[in-house]
Amino acid sequence: MPPTSTPESGDTAQSLLLQTVNQNAPPGGQVKFLERVPFGKTLSVDRYQLENGLMLLLAEDHEAPVVAYHTWFSVGSRHEKVGKTGLSHLFEHLMFNESENLPAGEFDRKMEEAGAEVNASTWLDWTQYSSSLPKAQLCTAIPLEAERMARLVLKDPQLNSEKEVVANERRYRVDDDVDGAVNELLWATAFKEHAYRWPTIGWMADIEGFTTEDCLDFYRTYYAPNNATLVVAGDFVALEVLSQIAEHYGPMPRSALPLEDVRPEPPQLCEQRVSVDKPTQTEKLVLGYKSPAFGDFDYPALSLLGEVLAGGRASRLYRRLVRELEIASEVRISAGPFRDPSLFEVYVSARAGHSAEELLEVVEAELARVKEEPVSREEIDRALARSELALLASLETAEGKASTLGFYETVLGQPAGAIERLAMEQRVGPSDLRRVARRYLVNTQRTVVIVRVQPEAVDDSTEAE
Amino acid sequence: MNTPGKSALVRPQVLVETSRALPLVSLSVCFTPGSVLDPAGSAGLTRLTGRLMRRTGGGLSADQLDTRIDTLGGSLGADVSHGAIAFQGTCISRSLDAFVGVVKDVVAAPSLDESEFGKLKRESEAELLASLDSDQSVARHWFRRRLYAEHPYGCPASGTLRSLPGIQYSHAKAHYGQAICRENLLFAFAGDIDADQAQRYAEQLSLAVPVGTPRAVPVAEPTFLSGRELIVIDKPERTQTQILIGTRGSHPKDADHTALHVANTVFGGTFTSRLMHEVRSKRGWSYGASSHLPYDKKRQAFSMLTFPKADDAAACIELQLQLLEQWCESGITAEELDWVKNYLVRSHAFALDTANKRVGLKLDEVLNDLPADFHNGYLDRVQAVTLEQANRAISERISPKDLLIVVVCTEKLLSEQLKAVVADLKSYEVIPFDGEAQAEAQA
Repeated sequence: MPPTSTPESGDTAQSLLLQTVNQNAPPGGQVKFLERVPFGKTLSVDRYQLENGLMLLLAEDHEAPVVAYHTWFSVGSRHEKVGKTGLSHLFEHLMFNESENLPAGEFDRKMEEAGAEVNASTWLDWTQYSSSLPKAQLCTAIPLEAERMARLVLKDPQLNSEKEVVANERRYRVDDDVDGAVNELLWATAFKEHAYRWPTIGWMADIEGFTTEDCLDFYRTYYAPNNATLVVAGDFVALEVLSQIAEHYGPMPRSALPLEDVRPEPPQLCEQRVSVDKPTQTEKLVLGYKSPAFGDFDYPALSLLGEVLAGGRASRLYRRLVRELEIASEVRISAGPFRDPSLFEVYVSARAGHSAEELLEVVEAELARVKEEPVSREEIDRALARSELALLASLETAEGKASTLGFYETVLGQPAGAIERLAMEQRVGPSDLRRVARRYLVNTQRTVVIVRVQPEAVDDSTEAE
Repeated sequence: MNTPGKSALVRPQVLVETSRALPLVSLSVCFTPGSVLDPAGSAGLTRLTGRLMRRTGGGLSADQLDTRIDTLGGSLGADVSHGAIAFQGTCISRSLDAFVGVVKDVVAAPSLDESEFGKLKRESEAELLASLDSDQSVARHWFRRRLYAEHPYGCPASGTLRSLPGIQYSHAKAHYGQAICRENLLFAFAGDIDADQAQRYAEQLSLAVPVGTPRAVPVAEPTFLSGRELIVIDKPERTQTQILIGTRGSHPKDADHTALHVANTVFGGTFTSRLMHEVRSKRGWSYGASSHLPYDKKRQAFSMLTFPKADDAAACIELQLQLLEQWCESGITAEELDWVKNYLVRSHAFALDTANKRVGLKLDEVLNDLPADFHNGYLDRVQAVTLEQANRAISERISPKDLLIVVVCTEKLLSEQLKAVVADLKSYEVIPFDGEAQAEAQA
């Protein structure tokens, strides 16, 4: 872990800051300084907490006159139940609707008038809301964000309209999208017990079935200060921000968060294989190997192995499948960055005239090779350099810094975990790569999805021009 | 054919934006023009040439080059647009010298290996085939092809499944000699680098590039269709549609471009715009609903994009046409104008918040022949727009009677409904989504 400082280290400026903030804070709004964590070579992040449990991360950076303001909630699709899938994501949409002091549409209207770029996203473990503003407009965002966190109004007409939007989003991202549909099929097949088996966007029937009461229950349970982290990154004055946050969030009550009811996934003992026809021009192969949680000691090595195998055009699988054999047009690998064990996904798109089975044979040969022959130091260095470049590029904007801090805080409880993660990858050696390959890239622990070309996609066609 | 230069150095044009925030440097080496150089019937030639350079720099193999770039903590792409062949990359500062060396090999000493050309061409064809999986890409492809017809803007820089097979290695080799020369070179650097360093690197690179005579390619103003045309791109099993509706747009050199940009932002440029409000917020018909007013060296199209489910597609088009007509007839309100000016002026901070974006704006000015202060003057121009100017720009520039409507859907389910909601329809055409692939297979 990087060195940290605490209030006991005698930071007088910090003490004075807190004294000023707390003197004027409303009941319940007292702010406690937890630690200062280095964040790269030039930045640091200060970690605070309000009495009601709300976590605050402040990272000052005066490079540009903008600031990113994020709210991360520790609730995602893993917290849903069968028959109510997609509620976290639907709720993300509803958060842009009416609140006690703002009519429907006014949140967006006011934020856009302030020049804000506003967005939100939901995944398996979390939901996050992001706003980036010119620095002079941060004071607009804080009360608006606090308002919707505590005083959202939910009514049937808005819910019904938003359900339609989400159903359309599902058609766009999943039902009419080959990759989206295949990804959903992979996870639904690979997991039998764990909540990772259903898609974050939810099953269509569940989306259509939500009631306003479902949403209100969800809101009262999970949208509470003790289940959230605020991240402020960019050009701001800490005293002003802390004072405003204490004023607007301090009075919010804690929620009695329910114990998580996630069931561990039982060990997978044999390969599962499914195939599906799609209106596509070429076959696809998707493999999902059971893989460790993001916080697992093995994760950095497995992630780096993914870079060796499919990170960029000099990677092993790309060279073999796309360049040498010319049987694929695209290869990609990702290791699921999730709180619980998930999937190491291998995706390959075939070229016309080549089958998914041909792809599988080559992928298997390359995976067998990393289990036997040590990966060279040069290949590891290449993968590490790519990883370092990606991290640096992700920190270019205030928005990127806030996303990185919020993600690592929410998933690992380590706001500067991205920097630590890079250091862990730099300690990985050939034996680590071989060990994780042998441990995780095992056929009995994998799910195979094959996409076939639907005959109609070809037969109905006529010459266009 | 160009030759390695011994003539005096033409002082290269170098754009620089310094930021020491991160140990990263971005650079762009641009040759102008870009894919407008493609001869008739050879769409994709310029891009193939640029990508071949990227893969054969310094006589290395593509694998060797990729490994070298990755290991330096860098990335380098060959991006070809209508206006430029741009080699754009980023690297970690500690490797800058070596990285510039690689870029030099790529732009000045590519071997243009013939076997690599064959691989590249087959790979490019496979990429085009794969792009048919994306309904939105298919919609955009046909929208541009039909809207710009024979104009170079109608020819995709990536080529088509019909044009790529006809491009031979000899064409690419000859094209390199015509497209790449010192005299049409432009550099942009951003990040952890100062102006002096950037100038030195630019001169090093420039000296290595062959001298030559840049090819002047006059590009005419595009002409736009008259009347309303509906084109359905037929794809099986679509539960959803992709709808693009467009017509003649504007250009920054038009006196009323900023006024139209302001008015368009009210119409479909934000999350609370008229289009978004009516299509998504009120009716829930489409996840996205937006309008766009892009520009290039020449005039481009104004367009609207939505993607409603199949059952709502006809009603959505009908609504969009009503909203468009209403916008053209009645314009925007004074309240909307005040609001949108605040939005545009304040959000402009995000066009400038990184060195990369700032240098990108400078590059945009040069590549599109805009006045040198075009982006610096943006805020003043927006503030100066009056209601009368905004509304006149809409009524004079946008013609709702002349529209191209492209819909990706399963045609047999929707054809009659779609035709019924477009009044004064001049023509209706159905194109299979994989039409080019099929035509090529049959050929």
